This record gives sequence, structure tokens and C-alpha cells, in this order.
Amino acid sequence: MSYAYMFKYIIIGDTGVGKSCLLLQFTDKRFQPVHDLTIGVEFGARLVDIEDKQIKLQIWDTAGQEAFRSITRSYYRGAAGALLVYDITRRETFNHLTTWLDDARQHSSSNMVIILIGNKNDLVSRREVNAEEGEAFAREHGLIFMETSAKTASNVEEAFINTAKEIYGKIREGVFDISNEANGIKLGVQQSPSANSLSPTTKSFYQNTGCC
Amino acid sequence: MKYETAQLTECNMGHPRRYVKHTTTNPLSLFSYGRKSDVTCAPLLLVVKSLDFISLKFQANVFHSRGMDLLVEDHDDSKGASFWKKNNKAVPGRPSPRKELKVIPYNPSPSTSFQDFQQSINDAWDPGDDEFCNISNVKISKKSFPNVSDDVINIHKYKSGDSKTTHPPHQRKEVCKIGDFSYDKDNHVIKNKIKKFQAILKDDYLDLGDLQNLSWPGIPFSVKADVWRILSGYAPTCSKTREKALNEKRKEYWGYVKEYYETENRDDSYQGTYRQIHIDIPRMSPTIPLFRQKIVQNMFERILFIWSVRHPASGYVQGINDLVTPFFIVFLHQVLESEYDLGTLDIETLDPIKRDQIEADSHWCFCRFLSGIQDNYIFPQLGIQLKISDLRDIIKRIDEPLHRHLQDNGVEYLQFSFRWMNNLLTRELPLRCLIRLWDTYLAELDSFASFQLYVCAAFLLHWKQELMLEKDFQGLMLMLQNLPTQDWNDSHINILVAEAYRLKCAFAGAPNHFQSKRS
Repeated sequence: MSYAYMFKYIIIGDTGVGKSCLLLQFTDKRFQPVHDLTIGVEFGARLVDIEDKQIKLQIWDTAGQEAFRSITRSYYRGAAGALLVYDITRRETFNHLTTWLDDARQHSSSNMVIILIGNKNDLVSRREVNAEEGEAFAREHGLIFMETSAKTASNVEEAFINTAKEIYGKIREGVFDISNEANGIKLGVQQSPSANSLSPTTKSFYQNTGCC
Repeated sequence: MKYETAQLTECNMGHPRRYVKHTTTNPLSLFSYGRKSDVTCAPLLLVVKSLDFISLKFQANVFHSRGMDLLVEDHDDSKGASFWKKNNKAVPGRPSPRKELKVIPYNPSPSTSFQDFQQSINDAWDPGDDEFCNISNVKISKKSFPNVSDDVINIHKYKSGDSKTTHPPHQRKEVCKIGDFSYDKDNHVIKNKIKKFQAILKDDYLDLGDLQNLSWPGIPFSVKADVWRILSGYAPTCSKTREKALNEKRKEYWGYVKEYYETENRDDSYQGTYRQIHIDIPRMSPTIPLFRQKIVQNMFERILFIWSVRHPASGYVQGINDLVTPFFIVFLHQVLESEYDLGTLDIETLDPIKRDQIEADSHWCFCRFLSGIQDNYIFPQLGIQLKISDLRDIIKRIDEPLHRHLQDNGVEYLQFSFRWMNNLLTRELPLRCLIRLWDTYLAELDSFASFQLYVCAAFLLHWKQELMLEKDFQGLMLMLQNLPTQDWNDSHINILVAEAYRLKCAFAGAPNHFQSKRS
């Protein structure tokens, strides 16, 4: 399948906040009430349209347990977008956000787009974290913010797509160096049939003009 | 000595058991060699290099009397030329040395058929391995004798491969059906095997080596639980003290439960572990209805919590919960009447005393099982990281095209094999297969940590054909994290462990084969 760009994502956050369910809802459009623990990392992918361009999202869903941190950290590098997820029914998952954010900023490219996601907002009666708190945290740290429900699919598409839009915008502004795959962005085949064999000058040509 | 330079290679013909490569100055010594059962039980093809054909003829008779073929390789240059180390491997670009082969077939009398031969060694078959009757079409030609074992493995692969194509590769699978256990088939092969196990179990002081050898190719269900308790070092080998010792250990376990788990004011440092286990257990094995029952969840919670507080170096790491499951199911299976279906069982109907025994036994066996691989779970999981690097080296060395294919598409071994190692393939195989695989792991208990690496390598190589068809990173990754093993049965595991054993023989103790360690 041809695509204009490929963006790499990583999903992070405490264990049990619903990272894998968000991914499953996004890639397979279904919800699994009991989802087995994620071990290490798991991979998922989907094509989305951003401004009439086909963009492939390659998503790494990581294990939330501290024990796996040495493994999951290596996936920050090479990610253009990160979904930082907490569970609105468990305050401690919100309290750990700063640690997650520090970890992400420390190990990723500085341009990585981060979206903060308060998941499980279908469980209103058990809510422990208000939407305003999430919003305030996001504002303070320069993140996009959304509340989602992997169960009802509410805002799930939007979360992934808004992140892609933000990344795409940054590419257009020239913020991302798309010749460097370590930034988590790859030119698609239709854009550059032989991207790998291009000389540095041609590459910069693509960088400046290819996407505008 | 006539046989000073004689090399004896034992190929395990058609039997997906271990391959024992044995070098000896006297082929007959194999019969007094420690692993007698390898030689006398398995159908063998023996290759002897020597000049003295008459002596070999005599030796052939000895082997024939045990139902084996003897293959003789004439070597013109082997005459006392043991000074130079011979390299029997083919050298690229150099013509391979011409070898004359004479087969002295096992054919003592015209009335003896292959069926008789098979009859004489049929106790070596594994439970559920009926399809072996069909392997007699393997021809041993002069050219291919070293590859006979490979051929047999390939035949099995091919046969089992038929069903693979019927499944779309990326369909999410449900591997953990448990209603379909392969209960011991009612045939004389299994019955013989069960008798052998029962005989060993009755011994006042049983020989653990014998039990391991007998267990390696698979343990019939009717004796599995008892054998597992012994192989895991939980139950003593002395039959007289066994019951008493088990009861002591069960009491000890419930003592720990009282001390650490049921206490009013649980130690703060354990609180995090408890919470983690508490939210993990309800999520485990979504496809097994038994695990949705609160009583079962509590049993798992206690087993894991007690293990974690008593093993603070690693503590609880997600994934080890899956490693309790085979023990739990096997011990549960033992106390159930055979008409019970594990898929629909209500655990509440089970006698609480029996439930407590199942729980304590699962805990202790799991405990012993994990002791050899604890470095897998101690931060930063160096045990696993090392094994992944070894896996890469093995594949690179023995299957360069596959290795290159993965590499060219940007697939790293860490990305797919981490889970294989962390969960010992529990996520990749159906439960019934895991239980069969555990037979071999427990028979190998002292070295299963390294053996597991070769199982992973064999597992990856098994899917080579399918993987080579995937043309990009995404296709490869989705396939690798969802390999279609739904239809696997015991015979697939038999092949897997046989391949793994072959790889282990080639690599273990030969550290130079691991490239990264050379530099």
C-alpha cells in the first residue's frame, strides 16, 4: 500500500490504563474487555488520511510495568509521536505522569509530539481525575490533551489523528528533519521512489519542497 | 586397537527425540554408556567409520539384535591417521571426499518386517505420535544418510504445514482453549509407557536420570502430575517419604500465606507488588473461562505474591503469571474425574482441601522452575537480553537468508523474541502444547534456561517459509507476534524440541559459534 509518510508512535503510561485497548480500538475497531498483559512491546499499524495524504502509522504499544523500562525505553528514539495515557479512575496513574514525561523527553527526539490521554471516560461514576486537571497538566507541559474511551471508541480516532496532524504540521514548518529516520518519520514510496539512494542534496530538496 | 579412529554417530531416525552425537573408540561401548535408554529404546541409525569390515559385521549383529541398522562408511585414509584432526565438514569450493558406503541392513530373518522392527521399539514413540507409522518411506540412500534425521523432520513439518495455510496469517488467535486436552489415547503404546512410568514411580529410590530420559519425549497425562512434582525437585525421589514431604511443604506454603498475604498489616514494601498482581490476574489469559472465576484468581494471586516476596531480587514481573498456568492445570487435571471438562469446570465444586493442595503444589513447582531463569526477571533483564543476542547469532550463523531478510526489513530480534523469552512461549503456543513442552523443560530442568534459547531458535526457523513471503516490516512484525499455532499438537512440539536439541548440540559448549562473543 502506498503512502506519503510513515509516522512512528509509541504508547506509554502506567500498567492497566488501557494502552493496548486504545491500540486495538484504533487498528481493529473493537474492544476487548479482558486484555492480556502486554509483555515488552507490541506492534500495530493503520493508514489514516491527513489533508488528502495517506499516512501510515506504525505504533509501538509498550508494557507499563517498571520492570520492562529498560526494554521499552529503547522505543522512544525513533518515535515521532507519543500517546501518554492515564486512567481517569485511578489517581495514581495521573500522579505518575511527570515521571513518564521526564522519561519520554529524556530518551526521545526533542520534536516528538506528545498527546496526553485520560482514558476510560465511560466510567464516569468511578472518576478520580477531572478533565480540567488533565487539561491543566497538558497546558503546563505543552501537550495535546484528550479524554477517550477505548470501550466506546469515543475520541480514539481523534487522538491518533490529531497527533498525526500535529506531526504533519511540524513537517510542513520544516521542524522535522525527515531525512533522519531516527525522528520517526519516513517518506513514503510514492513521494520518493528511491529515497534510500538519494544524494544528500536531493534529500534536502525533498525536505524543502516535497511536502508543501 | 582397530577402532581407535572409529567415530560413532547416532542419528535418531524418524523419532523426534534428542539426537545424541556420540564419539567412541568402541561402538559397542554405547550399550554400557550411561544413557542406555537413548540407544536401546530409540530407533537408531548408527554410522561407524572403520576399516575392519569383519569386525564391523560382528558389531552389526549386536546392533541388529537391538533392532537397528548399521551404516558403514569406508575411509581409505583413516588407517591409523588419527594424528591429524579430521575435518569432516564440506569446504566450499573443494570437492567433498569420496566415501564408499555399505549398508548392513537389519534383516535377521525373511519373516521380519518393518512392523516387527517397529514393534520392538514402539515403546519409544510418544503419546499421540501415531503418524510415525507413515515415516517408513524414508529411504536411506548412500548420498543422504547424514540428512536422514533432517528428512524426517521435514516430512513432519510438511505434513503439519498443510493446516497452516488455511488460516489467514494476521488473524488474532485464541491459543488457550483448554477443553480439548489430548487425554491419553487408549492404545498399547501409551499403556506400555504408562507402565514404565508407574514402575519407576514405585521404586523405593527412583533413578532421576531414568525418569528424565523417559519424560523428555512427553509424559502421559495419567502420570504427568506425579512425575512433574518429582522432576521439579519438589517431591522426593524416595517413594516412602514422598507423601509426608509433600504434606510438609504444603503446610509450609500455607504458613507463608498466613504470614505475608493474609496478615492485617501487610508490609508497605509489598503493597506495590500486591496491587500490581491484583490488577494483573483478572486480565490474564482472556480466552480461558476458568481464569474468570474469582477463586482461581485468588489462588494465582497468592501463588505469585508469595513467590514475589520471597524472591525480592526480581520481584513480580508481568509474564511470570503465565508460567504458573501449566502447573496449575496439570495438578487440577489430576484431581478431576475424567468426565470433567476444564473449559466448563466450576472450581467451587471442588473439595477445598484438594484446591489447597493444587495451589501449594503449583507454587512449589513454579518456584523451582523459575530458579534457573531468575536472571531473566532481574532488572534490566540481562538474562533475556543476552539470550536475544545469542538467538540473533544462531540464526545469523545457520540461516543467513532469514537473518538478512529480517534485518533488511528493519526487524530486530528484541521486537519479537522478548516476549518469547520472558513468557517462555506461553503466548505463542496453545496450552496443551505448552504442557507437552513443559515435560521436556522439566526433564531438562538444570539446563532448561539455555535449552529454551534453542527452542526459540527452532521456533523461529520453523516459520522461515512464511516469513520469507512477508515483504515488509509490518507484515513481518504482525506475523511474528501472531504466529498461527492454533492447530499445533504434541507432534509439533516433539519436532520443535528435537530441532532445539540438535541446535544445542551444535552450539552449546562451542562459544565461538556465537559471533558477538568472539570480539
